[in-house]
Amino acid sequence: MAHAEAAAKFNENEAKVNWHDKALWFVRQKRDKQAHKIQGWEQLRDYASALKANVLSNLDNYLVQFEENAKKNGVTVHWAANAEEHNKIIHSILQKHNAKKIVKSKSMLTEECHLNPFLEANDIEVIDTDLGERIVQLAKEPPSHIVLPAIHKTKEEVDELFQEHLGTKPSGGNPEYLTREARKHLRNKFLQADAAITGVNFAVADTGGFVVCTNEGNADMGAHLAKVHIACMGMEKLIPQEKHLGIFLRLLARSATGQPITTYSSYFNKPEEGKEMHIIIVDNGRTEQLSREDFRRSLHCIRCGACMNTCPIYRRSGGHSYDATIPGPIGSILSPGKDLTKHSSLPFASTLCGSCSDVCPVKINIHEQLYKWRQIIVKDVPQPTVKKNIMKAAGSILAKPKTYDFVGKSTRFMLKHTPKSLINSKINTWGHARDLPEVKGDNFEEWYKKRQKNE
Amino acid sequence: MSRESILKAVKANKPETLSLPDIDLSVFDEDINLIERFKENIEFVGGRLLELDGLATLDEEIKTLYPEAKKIVSCMKESALGTVPVSKETDPHTLEDIDLTIIKGNFAVAENGAVWVSEDDMVVRALPFITNDLILVVPKNAVNLHMHQIFDAISERERTFGTFISGPSKTADIEQCLVVGAHGAISLTVVLF
Ligand code: SF4
Repeated sequence: MAHAEAAAKFNENEAKVNWHDKALWFVRQKRDKQAHKIQGWEQLRDYASALKANVLSNLDNYLVQFEENAKKNGVTVHWAANAEEHNKIIHSILQKHNAKKIVKSKSMLTEECHLNPFLEANDIEVIDTDLGERIVQLAKEPPSHIVLPAIHKTKEEVDELFQEHLGTKPSGGNPEYLTREARKHLRNKFLQADAAITGVNFAVADTGGFVVCTNEGNADMGAHLAKVHIACMGMEKLIPQEKHLGIFLRLLARSATGQPITTYSSYFNKPEEGKEMHIIIVDNGRTEQLSREDFRRSLHCIRCGACMNTCPIYRRSGGHSYDATIPGPIGSILSPGKDLTKHSSLPFASTLCGSCSDVCPVKINIHEQLYKWRQIIVKDVPQPTVKKNIMKAAGSILAKPKTYDFVGKSTRFMLKHTPKSLINSKINTWGHARDLPEVKGDNFEEWYKKRQKNE
Repeated sequence: MSRESILKAVKANKPETLSLPDIDLSVFDEDINLIERFKENIEFVGGRLLELDGLATLDEEIKTLYPEAKKIVSCMKESALGTVPVSKETDPHTLEDIDLTIIKGNFAVAENGAVWVSEDDMVVRALPFITNDLILVVPKNAVNLHMHQIFDAISERERTFGTFISGPSKTADIEQCLVVGAHGAISLTVVLF
């Protein structure tokens, strides 16, 4: 389904859309407050961007350095070219330990690799322990946001899910009560788990260590209780030196949720006595993205979600409308790199207002990359006839000033006099939920000339 | 294993080398009262600050704050409230019903209310997370302005495990309503002395 159609579905429930829109904008405003509170915010973004650019330009050496140091620390390092290999490696580690019960903290990479269905098919229980992720797991849905996985769910929906799966009492969606019940339910899972899987926020080349950030403490509860800890990382998660963590940890939570830092930022270097720690370094299309000059900067992404919170399209279309592991503006430049045909509508799910690029803590030129994908897509992927002809007409009109002037005049005439039935007709999808603007007397040129003459 | 093929592909696809940026930390300087800023932030993240002149009254203060606590782990010799002893060999699963834990924090961060806790000080890695309530005790002169200073301060340690803790565990995953006490400690008190 194209993005616009899926978005239309989400928009059927107007009250929910309005809430979604406002809730995310509120998070964006919290981000602004935190960003403005500290000295040198823009400098932080510049440094972070430059560091990530350096990482990409030297990635092979950093990876080798990281591996060497991690091994010295007693950590086992694995390499996976794709999702399938990633899942198989995890399975073999679990088999070795006869591990049947797994707890997992938030990791978009394991979503990307569809790890859960793979493990379940192999008779292994895998429990997502982040509350939002647990909610969507019980609902059998993917996360709709990378930081706020269940932002599309109302509290009443959560209430019903918990009644059904956790045996809670009807509470009308009392967040306090539901969270307490989830705490009890997941406590048991933590205590029984044979192995814990976590993501990686940052991996440090010069120490071989890695950092995992959570607000709930679920990554730590899992990793420190189970005998085996498997950390899965996309290869772009590397940073050169430990001291650079200062820069990234200052940016991440402020950009993500408007907190000055996440509640827990845990820095793992060595496994505990008698326990095992594994790191899986995953490519899964990243080296290919690295080869695309116009798009490689998308690999700077630290998955803060700020571009989603600020995006006027995302806020009003919901994460599921993107039908991709990573939704929103950044997802719309990552996904076409994986499957251009499937995701060809995503780069058009943007107003190109540039708000995403303005908030991105690692300064990815997101809206410019969206525009670049559009250029590739209109060349490579067949477009609907209506869109094509409109685009063609627009192109030739804009190219000729005389015609532009004439068309402008007649457009204003049409805007005033076109019957609504034509605008909201079936063929014109754009007009389904829109009316044309009211036309004020003059066009810009006429207005400007009059103004010069002081009319 | 795909190690060689991945590294080969990265080498072939990476752009020309871009150098590391020169980082000028002076741009992040701020002339502020560190304790005040730390207090503001610890309260913002849902924690509580207790300022003491020395540790002589520490146990008394803790007892007033947590009168109900029975199973207590103290990881610092300055507090004698511990009722459950722990060592490196303690199975973390046995700590499931700990009411209160008292740990020394080496450094605090004014800009975000976080405290750095090293593995040596927490003894058992799971402890600061699995405990119901948590107290971190930090010297006043260990409050730094920002994260850059902390990474400088901890650069010489033995690297095993360590964590920054900023406030109690929390979640807002149900309709963005903030609920304190997700999986980790339900309350956090930082004692500055
Ligand atoms: S692209 Fe930038 S703003 Fe969006 S999630 Fe990634 S780091 Fe955050």
